[in-house]
Amino acid sequence: MTSLRLGLLNMANYRKEFSKIYDRYINKIYRFIFLKVNSQEIAQDLTSETFLKGWEAFEKSQNPGHNNQKVENPSAFLYQIARNLVIDHYREKGKAQLVSVEYTPIIDPKQDLEEKSLLESDIGQVRLALNDLKEDYQNVIIWHYLDDLPIREVAKMLDRTEEATRVLLHRALKSLKNEINRPQIS
Amino acid sequence: MAYFFVIIIVMTQKELIFKIRELRQIKPREDWVSLTKSQILGEESRNQSVASIFQLFFSLKPSYIGLAIVFIFFGAFGFAQSSLPGDLLYPVKKIVERSQAVFVSEKGKPQASIELANKRLEELTKIAETNQVKKIAPALEEYQASVAQVTKNLAKVTATTSDPLVIRELAESTQKLEKNKEKLEQTYGIAGLEIKEGSNPMKVLVEWLINDLEKRTLTEEQSLLFETAKKDYEAGDRFNESLEKLLFLSSPQE
Repeated sequence: MTSLRLGLLNMANYRKEFSKIYDRYINKIYRFIFLKVNSQEIAQDLTSETFLKGWEAFEKSQNPGHNNQKVENPSAFLYQIARNLVIDHYREKGKAQLVSVEYTPIIDPKQDLEEKSLLESDIGQVRLALNDLKEDYQNVIIWHYLDDLPIREVAKMLDRTEEATRVLLHRALKSLKNEINRPQIS
Repeated sequence: MAYFFVIIIVMTQKELIFKIRELRQIKPREDWVSLTKSQILGEESRNQSVASIFQLFFSLKPSYIGLAIVFIFFGAFGFAQSSLPGDLLYPVKKIVERSQAVFVSEKGKPQASIELANKRLEELTKIAETNQVKKIAPALEEYQASVAQVTKNLAKVTATTSDPLVIRELAESTQKLEKNKEKLEQTYGIAGLEIKEGSNPMKVLVEWLINDLEKRTLTEEQSLLFETAKKDYEAGDRFNESLEKLLFLSSPQE
């Protein structure tokens, strides 16, 4: 087999492989980012940037010419990129302090009314409360309860022990419950 | 007077987890998902098809390889027809066009070259529609070269013909080309379509028509219009306006 043929076949296979990764994680990564930035437009931008960076790193890691580490866990890898991009986004715009959840539209106005009312009524309440939690609490709740990641994997992503992650999850839930149960004045 | 209501919501842990899971309803738009995928992995389909062709080619018996080469050769000609400037197969398309031009008579060459210039505009439209920014520069070069060829061919015809009908037909086609160019400029805001003064095909036609009309007897009204047409020509950037007036004057009057 010639090196040209091998190269072309490999490239096609990498794309095929990353295409599967994209299909599997696009909704999760988008949701993860959307829950943190509260804007469809920004969530779309950061999600596409996440996958672009992911693809570039994935492509390089498959190339033996480059001294790059192989992407062993695409899920953890993509979440790490997404986390960094969200942090960079807030750092750049100074939005972490300026944007209050109360003044942020719950969903993008372009979304249809049915979805809007649904989000604003029931799950919107959880969303607002989740947004008020600290980053680690948000992450542990999203990964374990929304993405169904086992504690073992969440622990790896947070660089904690499984026991410490369970404690963190417990505290995060408690904190979320307090946020929701906090008397609201209207 | 303002009224304040205190709402206290008490939720069990089970209910809370249930509500968290409801956040799964948050999903990106499907069209955005597929568009982003094609933007990131845009080369996927093309590379995959190239890889498949290679795979098939190398798996063939030696006796069939010759046949495969013939198919590839003709296939390349076929694919080349839809290629755009900057594409790998575009030079093949140009070779095909040049070889077709060999069989066109001297008389038919100006019309054929106007058609080719229109093709270049169509390529630019495709490029603009699909936002292939990198291809704009080579496409503009191709367009400018094709217009220069039109002017060259028109100059040859105008130097030899004395038939106003031939010139009228060519002038109408040239005007259509100009309209297509203007449409492209207005719709996509493409800059760089301006024709260099020396290679403006309308200038050649205007000069022929002015010479022809100077030999004719014009009414007072016609003479006034003719003078305006000449002024447009002398301005150097109103060849289209001049051509309109001259075509009107040269058309058979009742």
